[in-house]
Amino acid sequence: MACETENGAVLRTENLTKIYRMGEVEVVALQDVNFAVQRGEFVAIMGASGSGKSTLLHLLGGLDTPTKGEVYFDGQALSKLNDDQITLLRRQKIGFIFQFYNLLPTLNATENVALPLMIDGKQAFHYQDKVNELLHLVKLGGRETHRPDQLSGGQQQRVAIARAFVNQPQVVLADEPTGNLDSRSGKAILELLQQVCKDYCTTIVMVTHDPKAASYADRVVFLKDGEIVNEIASQNGSVPIDQIMTIMAALES
Amino acid sequence: MRALWFIALRNLSSRKFRALLTAFGVLLGVSVVLAIQVTNQTTIDSLRRVFDRAAGQASLLVIPSSQKNDNLKQSLLPTVQSVKGVSIAAPSIRVNTLPADEATNWQINLNLNGVAAGNFFLLYGVDPILDPQVRVYVLAEGRMPQAGRYEIVLTRKYAEDKKLRIGNWLILLTPNGTIRLKITGLLAAEGVALINDSAVGFAPLKVVQDAFDLQDQLDEIAIRVPESISSKPALLENLKQTLQGRVGKNGDVVYPDSRGAVVSQMLATYQLGLSFFSIIAIFVGSFLVYNTFSMTVTERIREIGMLRAIGMSRKQVLATVLMEAFIVALFGSLAGIPVGLLLARGLIRMTDAVITPSEEIFSVSALTFLEAIAVGIGVALISALQPAMRAAKISPLDALRVRAHSDSKPAKMIWIGGFFLIAFGYFIIYGTDWPESWMFTIGSTAVLTIFLGATLTVTLAVQYLEVLPRHLAAKLYGNEGRLGSANVRRSVGRTTLTVASLMVSLTMIISINSVATSFKKDMGAWIDSALGGDLYVRSAITMRQSFGNQLKSVPGVATVTPTRVLEVRIAPESLPKNTLQNEFYLYAIEPDTFRQIADLQFTDKQADAEASWARLKRGSAVFISNVTADRYQLSRGDSITILTPRGKHSFTIAGVVLDFTGQRGVLYTTYQDLQTYFGESGADRFTLKVAAGYSVDQVAEEIESRYQKRRHISLQSTQEFKQSVLDLVSSAFRLFDVLGLIGIFIGALGVVNTLTMNVIERQREIGALRSMGMTRLQVMRMILAEALAHGSMGGIYGLLFGFLIAQVMILAMNLMIGYNLSYKFSFQPFLVGLAIAFLVAQIAALGPARRAAQVNIIEAIKHE
Repeated sequence: MACETENGAVLRTENLTKIYRMGEVEVVALQDVNFAVQRGEFVAIMGASGSGKSTLLHLLGGLDTPTKGEVYFDGQALSKLNDDQITLLRRQKIGFIFQFYNLLPTLNATENVALPLMIDGKQAFHYQDKVNELLHLVKLGGRETHRPDQLSGGQQQRVAIARAFVNQPQVVLADEPTGNLDSRSGKAILELLQQVCKDYCTTIVMVTHDPKAASYADRVVFLKDGEIVNEIASQNGSVPIDQIMTIMAALES
Repeated sequence: MRALWFIALRNLSSRKFRALLTAFGVLLGVSVVLAIQVTNQTTIDSLRRVFDRAAGQASLLVIPSSQKNDNLKQSLLPTVQSVKGVSIAAPSIRVNTLPADEATNWQINLNLNGVAAGNFFLLYGVDPILDPQVRVYVLAEGRMPQAGRYEIVLTRKYAEDKKLRIGNWLILLTPNGTIRLKITGLLAAEGVALINDSAVGFAPLKVVQDAFDLQDQLDEIAIRVPESISSKPALLENLKQTLQGRVGKNGDVVYPDSRGAVVSQMLATYQLGLSFFSIIAIFVGSFLVYNTFSMTVTERIREIGMLRAIGMSRKQVLATVLMEAFIVALFGSLAGIPVGLLLARGLIRMTDAVITPSEEIFSVSALTFLEAIAVGIGVALISALQPAMRAAKISPLDALRVRAHSDSKPAKMIWIGGFFLIAFGYFIIYGTDWPESWMFTIGSTAVLTIFLGATLTVTLAVQYLEVLPRHLAAKLYGNEGRLGSANVRRSVGRTTLTVASLMVSLTMIISINSVATSFKKDMGAWIDSALGGDLYVRSAITMRQSFGNQLKSVPGVATVTPTRVLEVRIAPESLPKNTLQNEFYLYAIEPDTFRQIADLQFTDKQADAEASWARLKRGSAVFISNVTADRYQLSRGDSITILTPRGKHSFTIAGVVLDFTGQRGVLYTTYQDLQTYFGESGADRFTLKVAAGYSVDQVAEEIESRYQKRRHISLQSTQEFKQSVLDLVSSAFRLFDVLGLIGIFIGALGVVNTLTMNVIERQREIGALRSMGMTRLQVMRMILAEALAHGSMGGIYGLLFGFLIAQVMILAMNLMIGYNLSYKFSFQPFLVGLAIAFLVAQIAALGPARRAAQVNIIEAIKHE
């Protein structure tokens, strides 16, 4: 597969710092984070709430701007791009998966998957095969014309995953993708992410506070008070859950 | 109770923008209601005042008898003066004339009642001693004329306009040439000086009578009585009876304001039209209020559930919502008053152009204000009632549920009910026969029923017709346009009311303009055929009939036909009971020459034109206009009794002809009958047909050079006259356009309200789209596309109902005024209407679209 031949970091941060100002008070969300994600890698970011994991994800996706430091996407410094250029970058090279799926209720499954193509001004029907392939991949064959309100939470999240991959992005950023699902659907979604990551050679950065979810990643990065405090890599295809839980317990204590 | 007010206020302040927008809608509705009320009242008052001013401090007037067609005889004066209780009886006579030097450039200036005030110079012949005791004369300088002398007082305004001073001579046209009057005084702009837009002068009675061949004749005797009588209606009525007994059949004793009543009646139709528009403004405004409170309640289901859980009763919930509506409506209504007054000023200016140049008066009373505020608050409370009741039904359990979605398919009952209401509205109008006096009430109820029905069917259209605007949106705004357009189906209720308010206002604009176009086409055709000819020769003073022969001899003149216009009185027994207006215009024509130039159209389908003309020529016969026929319930073959100077005479109605002249009865007769029964001849107008090979201008120039100086004539081409009439019609309808546009504006507020609400509700979704790579511009385009869908659905509905309502309006005009209008399709109103719908919706969407584009992605996706 392509990922085996291409090497190097697709995402890299350099002294990434984000400070929020709330009235008089300054809240440091991220502090000098240096972090890199390799092409085709599935990285989970963990931490207690308020540790800065969502902020990091937002900065990686160009949804927010850092107070200091830089994010490099495929070697390109995001701070050098204007709003429209970052938007285009997101459109063409990044996929998002949200905790609440964020499907458009007026569109059916197929249309929701094709949405990023539509936003790009493409005629969705030219990509029908691609969309169908993705829907099959996420095991939603036969539900193409269902609207979000006719799908379960797990099914909706699968549509969202198909949507995130339709543009063949280099990176998919997932924010608690299983946070709103029961454990069985959650498991299916994570297996799916793992599979898609490999099949499409897509880099996945997933924020989660669920050790089980994190265990599907190639590498787990731990944040505390805006700083990276620990990291574990997978052994034999998965990161041991008990190890993750131990670190998390230490972080939360 | 206090706590509830507190909660209501807090709720409003947490949604300031929406509260303000709604208050603004109420403001507009109230201001339109107030403005129309004030405009109508002011128009009536200023017209009445013209009559009051002429009557001055007179408590009673003796005017020519309704039993005879003649002036008052001066010999009646001593009789009147001798009646006990009469302290002063001031005789007067009025003539229309013109300064000799103006006569040649004089053009007829029209308004809806006929000729505009100030177009003629109004010369009063009065007793210089007695008259100032019944009417208000305020001399700015100089003195009153002396009895028997060739002297005149003018208004200072008129004198300044004409650059005249005391001591100058004013030369006025008379039937025998001119009369020279020395200016002895100038009147300040008060009392009598305001009559006829200040184009008025007062000369001694005898002088005017002699100059205009009106020896011993009077138009009016104004009577002043001691205050002990005038302040007591019963005593005054007694005196009136006594006077009538003495005067007998030689005159009528009336109260000064009875003539104002006639004018008021003449304006009634126009004013009813305006009033209907204020109903529409309120109707559209109520949609806005309903929508706002509906949204507020939906948005607060959880909060209200929580309040219910902690012990708020259903009644208290209901009260809180209604209190909010009350507060918004109160502020909106109060603020609507100054705006309404401002709007009224504008409307009055516009009505002046079409009804009468009134002076600066402004009729408002505290009651009018209170009424407007009551309407504003009342409508707001009624509109908020359903949402309030829905709020009251919310159960404490709702607080625990996930936010309820407003995306639901409308119940079948709603749109089926809509079609039923539309059909019912049509049935009311077309399926039944209503008495004329009910027409306005029935007609406007029916139109409102149709609107309501149409509104209900919009729910269906939103579901199934949205595909149409979606194609357009996709063309204009690409894929994001497609997304935006589809969004209107998500909150059907909200979309429905937004579309409906645009539809109602558009319908009004389109239908009014369609009616105006039809009216102008029919009127233009009528002018061409009924007035005919190429050139009019007119004079402010009646011309000799023989002048026609001289005109005929001018090279290039093919045919000449004279017309004489008289005001005649109809015997009351010929007219339906309670008819206030019994003065008709009698047009005398020469059938043979007339028919070479023009052609009257008989509206009676069975009528044989030749037979009708033959009957007219046999004498003792008249044609009546279709308006007259309708108003006075007369038809071909009936007879009508006219009060002639030689007594009552019955004329056979030989035909009913199409006519658009004014609100008065119109009769046509022959010169022969004019001579026989009225002892009159002469011509007020000659209509000329230009021979082939000559141009109208060429002939006009020749006539001018030969006769203008000597004869004091004025010339106008048929085309110019036609244009001036059509311009007048246009300005009469323009007033409705203004009101329609205000309606559209309220509709636009609805678009702003709905879209803002949608944007707020869909923050998370917009954030997700942005994170997926939708640019800010694309987000804006998406919202604009949604508005495009509102606009185009409102537009399509507006076109459809504009077309239907136009026919209803024409039907109503035909029934109420007696016109014979037919609907003429014209693209223009529809194109303009559609363009307005699109533009207004797009402009209204700019704000919400910007707001959507600025949605902070992180904040939005964090939202649960």
